[in-house]
Amino acid sequence: MTRFILAAFFAITPTLTLTASDWPQFRGPNATGVSDEKPLPTEWSKTKGIAWKAELPGRGASSPVVVGNRVYVTCSSGTRDDRLHVLCFDATTGKQHWHRQLQGTGSTACHPKSCMAANTPVADETGVYALFATGDLAAFDADGTLRWYRSLVGDYPTITNAVGMASSPILAAGRLIVPMDNAGESFLAALDTKYGKNVWKVERPREISWTTPLVRTVGGVTELLFTGPKGLTTYDATTGETRWAFKGGGGSIPVGVLDGDSLYLPVGGVSKFKIDAKGVVEKPEWAAKDAKAGYASPLVYAGKVYTSDGQGFISCVDAKTGKEHYKERVKGAFSASPVAADGKVYCLSETGICTVLDATANTFEVLASNELGEASLGTPAIANGRIFIRTDKALYAAGR
Amino acid sequence: MQIRFCVAALLAVALVTTPTPGVDDETTRALATLKRVTREGKGNEDAGPAWKTLVSKGGGALLPTLEAFEDGNHTAANWLRTAVDAIAEAEKAAGRKLPADKLEAFTLNPKFAADARRKAYELLLTQDSTAKARLLPGFINDKSADLRRDAISNELEILERTAPPTLKADLEKLFAATRDKDQVELLAKKVIAAGGKASISEHFGFVTFASLIGPFDAPESKGFAIAYAPDTAKDSSGKFTGKEAAELKWIPASTSDPLGKFDLNKLLGKHKNSVAFALTTIVSQQEQPCEIRVTSPTSLKIFLNQKELFGRDEYHHGSPFDGNVGRGTLRKGENVIVVKVCQNNQTENWAQDWRFQMRVCDDTGGPLAGITQVSAIDGKAVPLGLISEKPTNTEDKK
Repeated sequence: MTRFILAAFFAITPTLTLTASDWPQFRGPNATGVSDEKPLPTEWSKTKGIAWKAELPGRGASSPVVVGNRVYVTCSSGTRDDRLHVLCFDATTGKQHWHRQLQGTGSTACHPKSCMAANTPVADETGVYALFATGDLAAFDADGTLRWYRSLVGDYPTITNAVGMASSPILAAGRLIVPMDNAGESFLAALDTKYGKNVWKVERPREISWTTPLVRTVGGVTELLFTGPKGLTTYDATTGETRWAFKGGGGSIPVGVLDGDSLYLPVGGVSKFKIDAKGVVEKPEWAAKDAKAGYASPLVYAGKVYTSDGQGFISCVDAKTGKEHYKERVKGAFSASPVAADGKVYCLSETGICTVLDATANTFEVLASNELGEASLGTPAIANGRIFIRTDKALYAAGR
Repeated sequence: MQIRFCVAALLAVALVTTPTPGVDDETTRALATLKRVTREGKGNEDAGPAWKTLVSKGGGALLPTLEAFEDGNHTAANWLRTAVDAIAEAEKAAGRKLPADKLEAFTLNPKFAADARRKAYELLLTQDSTAKARLLPGFINDKSADLRRDAISNELEILERTAPPTLKADLEKLFAATRDKDQVELLAKKVIAAGGKASISEHFGFVTFASLIGPFDAPESKGFAIAYAPDTAKDSSGKFTGKEAAELKWIPASTSDPLGKFDLNKLLGKHKNSVAFALTTIVSQQEQPCEIRVTSPTSLKIFLNQKELFGRDEYHHGSPFDGNVGRGTLRKGENVIVVKVCQNNQTENWAQDWRFQMRVCDDTGGPLAGITQVSAIDGKAVPLGLISEKPTNTEDKK
């Protein structure tokens, strides 16, 4: 029995393939928004506490991603927002290593707040995979060599989401996982990373969604936990086969957090579910109805769950009980998801104000309110002792 | 300015009609490989090494790569575009200048793909800061949407700064050339303020007369996938059975909306889980390619002469201007366009629109020569975009 318990404990683990200091995908290592990095800066402004700043050629709701000493960021520009950019910077100096451009091949229709560079790229030690809301998908080696390119709208012409797409690709089981929930040919696909060809492609409901799959390994199987408007479905990352589904886990925009045997989902505010090898226990352990997630995904850090919403409210509840520690309103609405490290929670508003909270306190303790004065929709990245913030105009490396 | 531009253009054509010297076999093979990539990454395994080969050739491969762009082959264009970026970046890093004269010649030669010319123009600007003022005036009617837009903005800025005696005529010329909706609306205001006339509806070539029929039953919001008899209508005759067994006939309608909007909720009544059709007849003096551009917040299909050109099954996620484009060929004489406009059963306030706008244009969004629409009201041939001065249709009467 003891052996079974131990086996089960080690069998359910989040997937982690890169070093802890990297921030390779949407919401960083393990897609939790949490990094082990420290020390990290508390205060900065346009003129203080910024290691470097690099001008960007366009807007983006995507996050920067960092692997090793390289920062990758995507942008879109042009009257029709159809000019797509992938850039690589030196994480230490901010020097631009390379800049590649693509022409969008799909529709550029979207909500005015968003843009075609809404999907966060994913990177590994070999390079970066950039998906755009136009359905253009490209893999670049770390030196800027184009490894492969796909026009997904060219491949599957009925793809459509006039609100604009924003789901981010991830790497799992050695494949590039491409979420493409939309009103036309809707699918989840795994592509080989070398040539970008489909390994598997499974049909999804024809409904628009902006979520990104979560990944975990259970008994040697890498699972993708993918939410859509009608529920959470889990797929085998190697074969694409459906493993299990949970109708109560539906959602379209924010993404949940896997934390060991707990799954925090942005449903009914935020709800905590027990998760084991077979799936989710349908009745939540608790539901914090007032902790609204809005566009931003929740954060679980140091025994607390944080949410930030479109009205500027930041909520903090106890991760064990769901009991509210505080709910306070700050200046600005939130699109970027909160991130955390070094005992601090960073909440970046749409107007570029980053509220830094003391994560050790059960009360609302603001350590700093840092203003860059530029629109910021992308979730910041934490790596190499710095916080990388992309605005509509520039990429900032805050820290030493 | 005009003479100087013409001389530059002639020189440019002379330069570029000369085959690019020194294109080796490896470069030629690499370019051919990149152009062979097709759907679902077919050809990617060869394209990756070809891309590396091409970029390794350095500055000598720049012009051949730009020349390899083809309008319409978007996948290849993106392989080529990134190669151009990498070549230009490497040349800069090596301290070498790009061939400004060749880039200028390439930019000015309309035989090359619009996107490639735009790319060449941007590279040229990094080498020659005077190129913008020298070249932009020649791009006012360019096939590249970006070059055209920039040229018009540049010219408008000059006109407003200098206020020449020919201002009205100059603004009218810019208005005729512009394609982007925001720029069209801006220039229409400027033309009118200068004492001229500018019809946005005629500029865009909106269909302003149509025969309508509906509602047809579309259970479970699945009207998009259901075939209805009017899909392949050849004219606006006949009776059909509609929703709740109602007998339906085509009814003539027109719109006075400057952007050609037909509001089906007003014209046919508010219906859910329904489908309606709009039919218009276009007379073309010659066979010619066309685009039928439709704006609508709901699912739709576009048919030309009983052939389906385009379909999009999406409801109430916004209605981007010209968001649905059917590409086809108008035959000489009469052509029947049918647009099927679906409505689902969503109950939210923001999901009640049931409308469409339709225009017929060339691939730049500009007017086609020698085409008219047949008025559904009196059967007369009238210009596209014509707005009746007197209300004659169901919508206006309501």
